[in-house]
Amino acid sequence: MIVDERDELIERAARSLAGLPPVNPVAVMHIMSAVRARRAQRPSLVAQFAGWMRVPSLSMASASMLAAATLVIGFVSGGAFNGAASSVARVTGARGAMPLVQVADVPAESRAVAVPMVFDAASAHTVSIVGDFNGWDPTTTPMQRFGADGPWTATVLAKPGRHLYALMVDGVLTVDPRAPKANDKDYGGDASVLMVTKP
Amino acid sequence: MTEIDPAIPLRARSGDEKAFIEIVEFYYPRCLRFARNMLGSEQDAEEAVQDAFTRVYDSFPRFREDARFDPWLFRILANRCRTSMARIRRHRAMIEYGDLPIMAAAAVPEEDFGADWAEEVRVVLESLPAEQREAFLLRHVEDLSYEDIAAVTGAGLSALRMRVKRACDALRIRLDKVER
Repeated sequence: MIVDERDELIERAARSLAGLPPVNPVAVMHIMSAVRARRAQRPSLVAQFAGWMRVPSLSMASASMLAAATLVIGFVSGGAFNGAASSVARVTGARGAMPLVQVADVPAESRAVAVPMVFDAASAHTVSIVGDFNGWDPTTTPMQRFGADGPWTATVLAKPGRHLYALMVDGVLTVDPRAPKANDKDYGGDASVLMVTKP
Repeated sequence: MTEIDPAIPLRARSGDEKAFIEIVEFYYPRCLRFARNMLGSEQDAEEAVQDAFTRVYDSFPRFREDARFDPWLFRILANRCRTSMARIRRHRAMIEYGDLPIMAAAAVPEEDFGADWAEEVRVVLESLPAEQREAFLLRHVEDLSYEDIAAVTGAGLSALRMRVKRACDALRIRLDKVER
């Protein structure tokens, strides 16, 4: 039997390694941005079902099972699931033409990557990201302030490659001070450069 | 308090974002400490911890209601640290072949004790095999029971006791020399 001895020397050694680092709000923010982006990319149950329906060997079995399950639930609940049954009918009716795409079906080079963005602007009231990945639309990617006076954060989905973007700070276009700049003819001035690598 | 209210992981599992933030804020310091001690690099440790939390989120559907959260989280983190160590080893091997003089200059001689006692502990820790370092840290720094360490590492109890003993022996030999 091996005895777990914790003598004075080991105690001191353990103590010297036991210092706890503080919580880093920026790291927490990065984790949450990554988690939110994953949630956004995760297919919904309806999309997953649509994915199964595209597999010929599964489609008949899935449809039969779902129809049976819907019938049982509808019978048990006395019609409370009528809405669910009709939404399933819409999904199965749209089979083949449905624009829902499972992430795993998309090749890596054309798969959008979630990129967390951070911007410091303590006095700003509204900040959004505009770029070629969102059609330069200031309403598509608004940034959220992290805490009362923390940095502004958002996650953009962009395909691998070189992208140009800018920040709309209280209605004024601004380049991102943390990113390299590039002059863009279409944009009409300096824009910031975002390089996205393959996932 | 070293363990979170068991209701919080269950809330996070069912999609409550606030509960997930509570988990990250509660465990981030401990996870970073473990990863830093395992990997010996602040940057690698931060990367490993951030990635581990993302994996926790992805794996939540597989988290059982009756399971304890601590060993489950540390299992994911320890796996992520092992992957990181393998990558670091590969990277070091490439540098050693391609750029030997710089690595040779940076190497610490066996008997060159630093003035800082804590630094000595780190030097010994880094010289240990990864399994021993992991077992020592989980037992004596993270204060996990052997049963929990078994759940984290997948190793048997007697093997874990042996790993911890060997790590302690190595520390004693080196630190005794520093003390004299």
